[in-house]
Amino acid sequence: MLFKRTAGPGGVECDVTETRRDQQKLWLILFQIKGVRARLNSLALQQSLFFTLAFLIGGAALIWGAAIFLSPLLFLLAAFAVAMFALAGIVREGRRGLRQVANSARAAAIADQRGDLKGRLATVLALGEAPKHSPLWPYLVEDAYSRREEFVPARIEPRWISRAIFALLAAGLMALAIAFSGLKSRNQVRRTVAGGARGQITADIGNLDIRPADPALEPNAEIYADEKTLRKLENRLAAAQHDADKNGLSRWMNKARNLAGDLQNKVTGQKTENSGPPLRLQLTDRNPGQGEDSASNPSSEDSSGRNGSSGSRANSGPGTARNGETEPAPPTGSTPGSDADQLAHNRSALPAQPGPDPADSGFQDFAAGGSGGGQGSSHGSGSDPNGLFGPDSGRTLGSDNFKITIEAQASDESSRSGSPGYIPPRIRVSLNSDQYPDEPLERGSVPAADQAAIKRVFQR
Amino acid sequence: MNETEAATLSEKPSIADFARIFRRVQGEVHKAIIGHEQAVEELLSALFAGGHVLIEGVPGTGKTTLVKTLGLALNLSFNRVQFTVDLMPADITGTRVILGGNEGRREFSFQPGPIFCHILLADEINRATPKTQSALLEAMAELQVTIGGTTYPLAPPYFVMATLNPIEMEGTYPLPEAQLDRFLFKVRLRYPGEEEMVRIVSSTTGPEEAGVETVFPLSEAASRVEGLKRLVREVMVAPPVEHYVARMVRATQPENSRILGDLHAPVHVEAVNRYVSFGSSPRGAQALIMGAKVRALLDGRANIDYEDVDRIAAAALEHRIMLNYAAHSDNVDAAHIVEQVVKAVRSTRP
Repeated sequence: MLFKRTAGPGGVECDVTETRRDQQKLWLILFQIKGVRARLNSLALQQSLFFTLAFLIGGAALIWGAAIFLSPLLFLLAAFAVAMFALAGIVREGRRGLRQVANSARAAAIADQRGDLKGRLATVLALGEAPKHSPLWPYLVEDAYSRREEFVPARIEPRWISRAIFALLAAGLMALAIAFSGLKSRNQVRRTVAGGARGQITADIGNLDIRPADPALEPNAEIYADEKTLRKLENRLAAAQHDADKNGLSRWMNKARNLAGDLQNKVTGQKTENSGPPLRLQLTDRNPGQGEDSASNPSSEDSSGRNGSSGSRANSGPGTARNGETEPAPPTGSTPGSDADQLAHNRSALPAQPGPDPADSGFQDFAAGGSGGGQGSSHGSGSDPNGLFGPDSGRTLGSDNFKITIEAQASDESSRSGSPGYIPPRIRVSLNSDQYPDEPLERGSVPAADQAAIKRVFQR
Repeated sequence: MNETEAATLSEKPSIADFARIFRRVQGEVHKAIIGHEQAVEELLSALFAGGHVLIEGVPGTGKTTLVKTLGLALNLSFNRVQFTVDLMPADITGTRVILGGNEGRREFSFQPGPIFCHILLADEINRATPKTQSALLEAMAELQVTIGGTTYPLAPPYFVMATLNPIEMEGTYPLPEAQLDRFLFKVRLRYPGEEEMVRIVSSTTGPEEAGVETVFPLSEAASRVEGLKRLVREVMVAPPVEHYVARMVRATQPENSRILGDLHAPVHVEAVNRYVSFGSSPRGAQALIMGAKVRALLDGRANIDYEDVDRIAAAALEHRIMLNYAAHSDNVDAAHIVEQVVKAVRSTRP
């Protein structure tokens, strides 16, 4: 401490020395540098946090949107790409945030640069703790102190909030947009499913084109058929599954589809929301005399030109519905205006499949139960004359059939740009007084004398 | 603090005094020298930094006039030596001659040469032989001359300004690297522009001569200049700036041209590796710091900044970089190398 000796009436006066004042000024300068540092570090932290959140929210929204709008494989690829991008972004922003964390020297250097202080603060900070100071040290402290207005934290860094918040807002808006459109799409699907309680559709087992299913689609159809027909269907499904498993690429693709489908279901929660009224299909067999082997061999049917040109693909079975490896596909070539056609139209969201032969459509209109609605054009075409007669069942309608669930999911075309919205099935022809719904009738006793004539009629 | 110390401190020039005196000397020099503002500033910076200057310029650009005017303005003793091939070291330093004494005895007596002054102009120094050029080494570095086993100190301030003629190189002896290194700055005098040429013609062809006034009285000139030189040395340098200077000097050395940048990522100065045989010595770092200190004082600061270093880099480093044949064949000069180095090192600032 220096004492200034002044000649006065009281003799020697001891004042607060310049050294002490320099120390106070130095303390104030260092305090302001600390303020600058705190603000810089706060912004660096905010930037890292906001960008990380933006990447997380944006990535999650994109993955969710992909799960809703894309097919399983595309979803898998898109989800992987988005996840990698988000991960890389988070790592990059984390590193950048770490780099931007400022110690006191860096804060002083930044303040020097932004306040045009030409190294004054960095020098004060660096030499403040030095045991011996230059004779110019007081000048430097005074000089820096006189410019303290130029390096107040608010002037060096005016922002309290990092600009990265805009990235976070953008990600949030994107997530909202995707969520909105996704929810809208799902609501339309739900309405479609709810409005699609249109009774039963009859499918011909011979026209079924059985392929591995799209696992993303939930089983939402019920098949009614006699036991024999269902057995044939099951065999064909097993054969199709076997063929698919023989091909390694197909197997892996199926596994990928399974994985992607499971992921999509988990992401979108479709499993719980797809519980609308099931699509009811009645399965018939036009060639009841054909053996199970030949019926279950798709290749033999392909060679007969039936299956290969089949336009309808109602596919599933108890096994395949379980593991999700069969794919319900739209009967894109079915008779225009029929329920089957409508179903095909609604299912066209599925991946493109080989073009069917419209003339070979296996779906036929079927009157909705009790509604008195339209009839198809080939009622009873699948009835077995050999099984016409039997003991009186005395049971309710359909009680002698068992049902299996197949995958069939209505899709909403309105959610896609340029595609028409869902069109409800048109019923063109109503039943006349001589016609009856193609429902299994209760078996009753038939007089022996009439049985031969009835059999002849059905054989025709 | 006793009375003597207080008196000494009161005589000590302040930062404002330094800038004022510097600008005044500069103004006096510019009475005789038209243009060359940067060269004059670098020349004065070298003087107050305690170094020596190598002035390079084509004939007629005012090299000799500049030096003479400076000596006149500072009111310091000034000598000029025209270097020629047959100039001997003793012609510069002085020699011992036999003189007759009072009692008829003959004895050796030292006759100081032109080197004994405050400001020495070594005109066209590259025309003398290396042996003669080297006679200046001891004087420039240690402010003393040793002749016949006896050392004679030189009176401070001592300031050598050597001129180089870049043309008519035939029959010249390029300065050895060791001697080049002893010059703090190398100042280039280029051809004046049209406006400057007009002013030169009008001011030098009339009847009136440039009325250069002395800034210091003769009795105080040396001490005042020494006081200003001491003030320069008191300017503070923060450790980050010292590291910056060290990085810059090391970046001129081919073996160390990979400098560490932000987060220790190396910055590679490709031009150095390709064109430089030898980079700057530690004297280059000293020159950078001293030159930056003068610039800081001129700006009214007691500390140096990175910008001060950058601005003085060309003058301090160009003559310390030895280029190889590839540089000559590619027409690359030292100025380009220094520019690349500064650019690379600037990116490593904190």
